[in-house]
Amino acid sequence: MGKLFDKLKEDVRFVEGFTACINCGTCTAICAAAEFYNYDPRLLVDTVQTQNDDYIEALLKSNTIWYCGECMSCKTRCPRGNVPGLIVMALRSLSQDLGYFVESEKGRQQLFIKRVIGGWILNFGYCLYLEGIGTDMYAEQGPVWDWRQKNWSDVLARLGANYKGEGPGILRKIPAEALDEIRRIFEVTGGKVRFDKIEESSEKKAKEMNLKFGDGTDNEYFQHIFSYDNQNHNKE
Amino acid sequence: MNIEGKKAIWKDYQKDIADDSYFYVRSCVRQNFLPGSETTFIRIVREELGKDIYEHPCHTTCTGIGYHGDIVPVDTMMTVVARQFALMTEAGYENLVPSCITSFGIYTEVLDTWHHFPEVEARVREYLRMATGREFKIPANIAHASDIIYKFRKEIATKAMYKLINKNTGKPLKVVEHIGCHYSKMFPEKGVGGAEYPYVLVGMIEEWGGEVVDYPERRHCCGFGFRQYLVQANRGFSISCSRKKFESMQDYEPDMIITNCPGCPMFLDKWQYAISELEGKTYGKDGMGIPVFTYEEVAGMLLGYDPWDLGMQVHQVAVEPLLDKIGVSYDASRKYLGINNKNLGQPKSPNVLVTAKSLLSESL
Amino acid sequence: MNTQKTKSVIVIGAGIAGMESSAQLASFGHQVTLLEKEKVVGGHVANWERLFPTMKPASEIIDLLKTDIMNNVNVQLDAEVFKIEFSNQEFIVTLTDGQILKSDAVLLATGYDLFDPRGKEEYGYGIYDNVITSAELEAVFKNGKELKTSTGKTPKRVGIIHCVGSRDIKAGNQYCSNVCCITGVKQAIEIKEAVPDAEVFCFYMDLRMFGRYFEDMYLKAQEKYGVQFVRGRLSEACENQDGSLIIKVEDTLASKPLKMTVDLIVLLLGFEASKGTTSLGKMLHLNFGDDRFISPTNEHLLRHNTKMEGIFVAGTCTGPKSIIATISDARGAVITVNNYLNNLN
Repeated sequence: MGKLFDKLKEDVRFVEGFTACINCGTCTAICAAAEFYNYDPRLLVDTVQTQNDDYIEALLKSNTIWYCGECMSCKTRCPRGNVPGLIVMALRSLSQDLGYFVESEKGRQQLFIKRVIGGWILNFGYCLYLEGIGTDMYAEQGPVWDWRQKNWSDVLARLGANYKGEGPGILRKIPAEALDEIRRIFEVTGGKVRFDKIEESSEKKAKEMNLKFGDGTDNEYFQHIFSYDNQNHNKE
Repeated sequence: MNIEGKKAIWKDYQKDIADDSYFYVRSCVRQNFLPGSETTFIRIVREELGKDIYEHPCHTTCTGIGYHGDIVPVDTMMTVVARQFALMTEAGYENLVPSCITSFGIYTEVLDTWHHFPEVEARVREYLRMATGREFKIPANIAHASDIIYKFRKEIATKAMYKLINKNTGKPLKVVEHIGCHYSKMFPEKGVGGAEYPYVLVGMIEEWGGEVVDYPERRHCCGFGFRQYLVQANRGFSISCSRKKFESMQDYEPDMIITNCPGCPMFLDKWQYAISELEGKTYGKDGMGIPVFTYEEVAGMLLGYDPWDLGMQVHQVAVEPLLDKIGVSYDASRKYLGINNKNLGQPKSPNVLVTAKSLLSESL
Repeated sequence: MNTQKTKSVIVIGAGIAGMESSAQLASFGHQVTLLEKEKVVGGHVANWERLFPTMKPASEIIDLLKTDIMNNVNVQLDAEVFKIEFSNQEFIVTLTDGQILKSDAVLLATGYDLFDPRGKEEYGYGIYDNVITSAELEAVFKNGKELKTSTGKTPKRVGIIHCVGSRDIKAGNQYCSNVCCITGVKQAIEIKEAVPDAEVFCFYMDLRMFGRYFEDMYLKAQEKYGVQFVRGRLSEACENQDGSLIIKVEDTLASKPLKMTVDLIVLLLGFEASKGTTSLGKMLHLNFGDDRFISPTNEHLLRHNTKMEGIFVAGTCTGPKSIIATISDARGAVITVNNYLNNLN
């Protein structure tokens, strides 16, 4: 049995999501990512079930495991009760914990998610904290979003929010003690280790790629992973 | 299409939904993008239905977007969830009502995992104790906020001022309903109606006078895909998914789309704008697009609440054509005002999508 | 009891297993009562038009069996078993109409039911008008009707779906139902014969051409009739406004998702233990497999004995079988029951 396969089995999601695959294709048939990306969840699961270290290591370093949108449509169909989406989540976790994620273009994007979403979780207690996140980064949000950004607090107040306020309410200030608890949870459960690993691996990779690396969002490496697309991910 | 066949399936997927004493946990997406819907939910539950709904000021995100963005390890997510349960226990509540569909999926997934793997629950309890000193009881009931509105759809219907009917033709409005993927695809028996023919929104639409439109890509994900939207390089996936749905539904000429997920209404709304800019194509009549609503916006609108209290002014696709079809009275001049009539200016018009404002300025 | 006394056996279920075993047991000189809860004999085979792999009419077999049971077997139709008890060294069988029958042995030939395709919700049976079952298609041929869509059109493209209710833990049945694949090949050929210009696609996971002449039929379907085989299990069927259906599969041999519009979908339904098999087996405390069919004493050598002495099984109540296998199985049951009856004192 392969070492990487054993490590996957330590993830409860892998245990829940993987029995054995009969290659029927009902997952790929319904997969949103398989429609648009050069991606086949059936092949991914079939590769994992070989238990072969070389194949699995190649997977963990490839773009393949990063195409899934985690919609779980595959879970509704598999006649063996497998869940390719959960298997993908286990692969993504392992890829980051081993530092392999930086070997693929899509994997490198994890730094963005860690800094932006992870930053908001630890600093504010929300996954999204969007004052100042405008149409320069998210053009599709459109002119109404521009108006919202210009009038962020006022529109929130108009719609009944308690922005940065005490007590309950929309986008309230989450008390410092609560955020401390969240931080301690991250420390105790391996969340902080994951975050640190993402940073450390990304910094190493940035050096290899000769891209300037810094904190925050305003550096060469960060901007590159956010927007670079090699145009080779789609079906012909 | 034979509705009797669907009814038989709906009978099989009934779900126990608590009828009072709700512990409300908010949605990160909705608080930022559609805050009016959360305000309206609490208003309806308290003022129309007379129920007790409580929000603990120390509750946080469940880390859903981080978890499905794969930066948050599963143990971390479970312990944060356990902390939410602990706050609920501390406040003396048993019935959890998440505002977010991804949250609902996560809470359900966590309880299912603990049921099959009690050692994981034990481990998480220990983590929570170590990190916070807290303990918790497993919730007696978990129902998504849309389940609550579904459960009381008849009560809302009796109090409603309007129906989902075109007042000019007298015909029911054609309504596309879109269910968030994490509502019932993961655990079909935990969603009203199951995974294939969910009934939670259909029930509301039928009760409120509308006609449900079924179309081939109904079950297709809107394309949020977490990392597939957050990172710019991946966004083609996200817009392609929504576009697939629009292309599939347009021949059915729906009057509106209703969804029960936080992200979906935002995406189905904003991607229509982006598609119009990229391809010059709009769905719906006269270049205006198909307006997208949350179920709270619809419930509130039918109850006669001011659309600008509901938060419809933050939609990119114009809602006015739909309001006019129903006969909802509203004051267009107040659309973009803040509290105390504060002047907040107005959004610019998009280049292709026709909005009510551009119609207005055309007529001037 | 006198060893010269004629022994008796009650056979429950007048499908082909019940009819064959009744006729043969009667020819050995036993007193045979054959009970059938429906108003006609013949079970499922009576509803089929032509049989694989010979394409001979099913009616040939049914007529032959009917003749065999005509003289020597006491056939009771509309006769449903309510209770079976054992007392004073004989079986007491009570019918729902109150009739009481007694015998020295009981042979269960209670067979199978077809999987209810409503359990596979994403296929839209009962919701989309142009999704029909293999049994419904067979009925079209048997009644000499033309194959049409729900709107009266001649179908231009038909999709045949394998493994409906089989090899599917979500549908509740992990097992393979054995004969659906060859049924699909047969019906594909029949559809092409009826509508030569139609395109016919079979969507399968594996093609189980296990029997004699099955591979020949498969080759003929491809070569002579142009039936196309796509290795991809149906994931979802959706309906267009005009009533045609969109099939979503993966063409696994090309590793690509495939969507196709068809006019008609035929679901090849798997077998499940029939209601009679389940209720009578439970009543008699017989062993069942995880597949909910009755487990005989030994799968290899004692296929017709059960946990209860004097209760025997024949046919598909112990699992899906072809007609050829069912008839052989019934004859095996006859030997077992015959030996048992002759050794009773």
